[in-house]
Amino acid sequence: MTAADARGPVAPALGRGGGGFDRSRADRGGLATTWRAFATSARLGWQMEANWTDPLLFFIYSVAKPLASALILVLMVQIVSGGGTGAASARAFVVIGSALWAFVLAGVQGIAWSVLDDRERYRMLKYLYVSPSDFLIVLVGRGVARVGVGGMGAVITLMAGVLFLGVPFDAGRVDWAAAVVVMIGGLAATVALGILMAAICLQTRQESWSYPEAVAGSLFLLVGAVFPLAVLPLPVQGVSLALPLTWWMAGFRQAVFPATISSVGGSGSLFQALTGAAAPDTAMIVLALLVTTALVTLVAAVLFRRSEGRAKDRGLIDRTTGS
Amino acid sequence: MPDLPHATDATADHAIEARAVTRVYKARPAPVTALAGIDLEVAPGEFFGLLGPNGAGKTTLIKIFTTLLLPTTGTARVFGFDVAVQTKQIRRIMNMVAGGEQSGYGVLTVREQLWMFSQFYGLGVREGWSRVDELIEAVGLDAQRLQRISSLSTGERQKMNLARGLLNDPWILFLDEPTLGLDVSAARVVRRLVGDWRAAVPGRTVLLTTHYMAEADELCERIAIVDHGRILAIGSPAELKRMVQRESIFRLELDHLDGGPAVLAGLPGVVHASPAAGADAGAPVDRQTVAVNLVLIEDGALGGVVGALGGLGSHIVALAKSEPSLEDVFVELVGRGFDDVPGEPPR
Amino acid sequence: MSRDVYVHRRTSGPRAAAGWDRRQVLMNNLRTVLGRAFPRLIGLTREPSWLLFEVGLPFLTTSAFVLVYRALQAPPEYIGFVVVGGAMTAFWLNVIWMMAAQLYWEKDQGNLELYFTAPMDMMAVLFGMAVGGMLASCLRAAVVLVVGSVVYGVHFSVDQWLPLLAVFVLTLAALYGLGMMLASLFVLWGREAFHLTQLLQEPMYFVSGLNFPVGRLGFLGALAVALLPLAVGLDAMRQLAFAGGTIAFATPSPAVEVLILVAMSVVFLGLARFCLRTMERLARHEGRLTARWR
Repeated sequence: MTAADARGPVAPALGRGGGGFDRSRADRGGLATTWRAFATSARLGWQMEANWTDPLLFFIYSVAKPLASALILVLMVQIVSGGGTGAASARAFVVIGSALWAFVLAGVQGIAWSVLDDRERYRMLKYLYVSPSDFLIVLVGRGVARVGVGGMGAVITLMAGVLFLGVPFDAGRVDWAAAVVVMIGGLAATVALGILMAAICLQTRQESWSYPEAVAGSLFLLVGAVFPLAVLPLPVQGVSLALPLTWWMAGFRQAVFPATISSVGGSGSLFQALTGAAAPDTAMIVLALLVTTALVTLVAAVLFRRSEGRAKDRGLIDRTTGS
Repeated sequence: MPDLPHATDATADHAIEARAVTRVYKARPAPVTALAGIDLEVAPGEFFGLLGPNGAGKTTLIKIFTTLLLPTTGTARVFGFDVAVQTKQIRRIMNMVAGGEQSGYGVLTVREQLWMFSQFYGLGVREGWSRVDELIEAVGLDAQRLQRISSLSTGERQKMNLARGLLNDPWILFLDEPTLGLDVSAARVVRRLVGDWRAAVPGRTVLLTTHYMAEADELCERIAIVDHGRILAIGSPAELKRMVQRESIFRLELDHLDGGPAVLAGLPGVVHASPAAGADAGAPVDRQTVAVNLVLIEDGALGGVVGALGGLGSHIVALAKSEPSLEDVFVELVGRGFDDVPGEPPR
Repeated sequence: MSRDVYVHRRTSGPRAAAGWDRRQVLMNNLRTVLGRAFPRLIGLTREPSWLLFEVGLPFLTTSAFVLVYRALQAPPEYIGFVVVGGAMTAFWLNVIWMMAAQLYWEKDQGNLELYFTAPMDMMAVLFGMAVGGMLASCLRAAVVLVVGSVVYGVHFSVDQWLPLLAVFVLTLAALYGLGMMLASLFVLWGREAFHLTQLLQEPMYFVSGLNFPVGRLGFLGALAVALLPLAVGLDAMRQLAFAGGTIAFATPSPAVEVLILVAMSVVFLGLARFCLRTMERLARHEGRLTARWR
């Protein structure tokens, strides 16, 4: 018996070409991996939520619900204001706000509900979490898809508003550059708020489904969606001016439908009291939007990581609450 | 001890009766035939099993008997009541417990959940509470009585489900894979509880569906083996096994055997004797034994063999009887095991 | 353990045990109402967070519409209409989510098959759900009414309290009858009916005039008053709660609307019974009573 016999068989070499475990697979990929995770989750979100292959569901979620919401407000305007030019301006105001709100609901509620759906209904949350993709990127991808789905309802409502409800639209007067910047900023803010809600829902047990609804309901009152901020008490207007969605709504109206009333300014508004100007100009709106969006995004990212860590620490990721 | 009621109703000869029952589900791309003509009779007081692999049609059949599903063609009766039109009567005398049940309202405690169901089954308000307390103790959930059901373990939940199934003193209890997902001790407890409940009143009938052969073998007086919506065989476990193997097979381990197994082959009642594998080959030569597989016409022939071995000076070190399992019966009937996929080579 | 525990009721046999007289059937159904209301009532005490969401959220929605009217400088009666509409929303949402859609949730959780294998009537189960949810709905409606009135300065002028109460009770009866009808659809349609519930929110608010007099919808409003309990009940309550006002409702008088509500209650409850039985038979035929096919 030789020394080699005494040592016994040698284990196969590790690393590349050794036929065994490849350590480099465990290294985080770069931008390509992140993009792949984002694109896959966005496609998944689109396939789950778009309903474009089911006419009934498409009709319910992208046509009937958003249109009905807009029509309620339009009729309220009509009853009170009759058919004058003031009514037309008010009508346009509520239709645009109602249409844009479809984005907000999809983003803020939708992302949080994705987490709850995966945790409670599909029981997939733990599998998504332990996959190599960054959980935050996966959620952002799902969120973007949801916002896209919400956008279908928004576009349909705006089109109905322009074609049938007297919303004045003049393509020649649209500030396209501002519109693009405002939409990007607004949608980023919406996704950030959705991530923030998802962070909260990761921790909650009871009434989890209601938190996003409560936040969306509160935002509805604060961002000048269907009425100008001037109607609110001044301290509340201060809160409104700190929200990116407020500037998004105002910016979209100003860029795409410049004939409509400003939601931020006007007689009795905090904005006018602070600046002396009747309404903000486009540059001010874009700047305010970018600053507030950046702040909200930073807060959302930090809070999400904290929530993720706390959830992992307390074993919340693979639990089902039955809510 | 109260006077025990008996099944004296003369109009119901059978607890369960199925005549040419079929069930076809509309599905894409083609309809699915879950039951392809079931004829079945279960006597009152019998513990009857439906044994078969997943997708055999056991649950579909139990759903028909429990009035959750209508047969596509054919008739089915429970204690003489037609499942199609006399659903109320059937629901008053039966109950159902399924394995893996996650039903219930998480915010309620065990006691409250069971009380709620007691009201559905027609018990009085106070009567319900006292009945619930009795059954909680009977199934061994006393420590969990005030615990929310959302925090119960799988075994505890199944005990609660069983207690629910016994609330209304059913005359027939349908058990659809009741030990699914339970560990060995929890499954044993559930089986024992069902047995105790059944033994308390003559005439109580149980229909059990399972794909655990040992469970069917242990509990059932008669078993129907089901596959692809058809009953392949019905009989007691012993009768079914005799379909596969009429002889008695033994494995003997002897200290020595002069002349080898061939000397046993000519003995009365011995069909075949051959060397068996697995004797302790690694033991010292002076301690090695001889293993023999012995096939006899019947168990009684073993006495003659033992006597002959004594005459040869051989001593029996170990003796074990080899019996076919119910899966062997299934393989014999169908040509594949429970876990084998039709059309693919068996594992 | 003594075997006595396994013997509770003495009957001579299964066929005797299966024969219940009318009193037994009635008592079973009444106890079922109590039993099914029980989890809802218990849930109120064990999960107090519902207070914030069930009460706070509706108030937010109502406030939004109030502020729209304020921005439009609408007459103060319209604020009152929104507040009353917001209060009735509580009952409508209870009907569609806690009754109609509830059977879908029960099926999803595996409870539905246990209900259908028990001897009670499904209408008793649904009525129990309604009773159980009634407390939360009443509280929600009361908060919207009281807080909304105080915060937004709504003044009610009620001349006839008894008719107002009668209209409220009849509206609930008709609403819950409609809810039971919808529940039967959910048993059959499953997930598709869940989406239908979504259709019964904003579109229903629009055609029922939740935030404005339904008569202003013209022909559509007239149709709503004829067919929708929420529309006719809300309109009658507004006419009675703001009697003597200057706003023209352009709808039938409260007396006529009471008759419509009576007819609706009878028709919907009768149809509910028919639909539940028909749908159960169809669901058993197509195998839709259970969510998981093992």
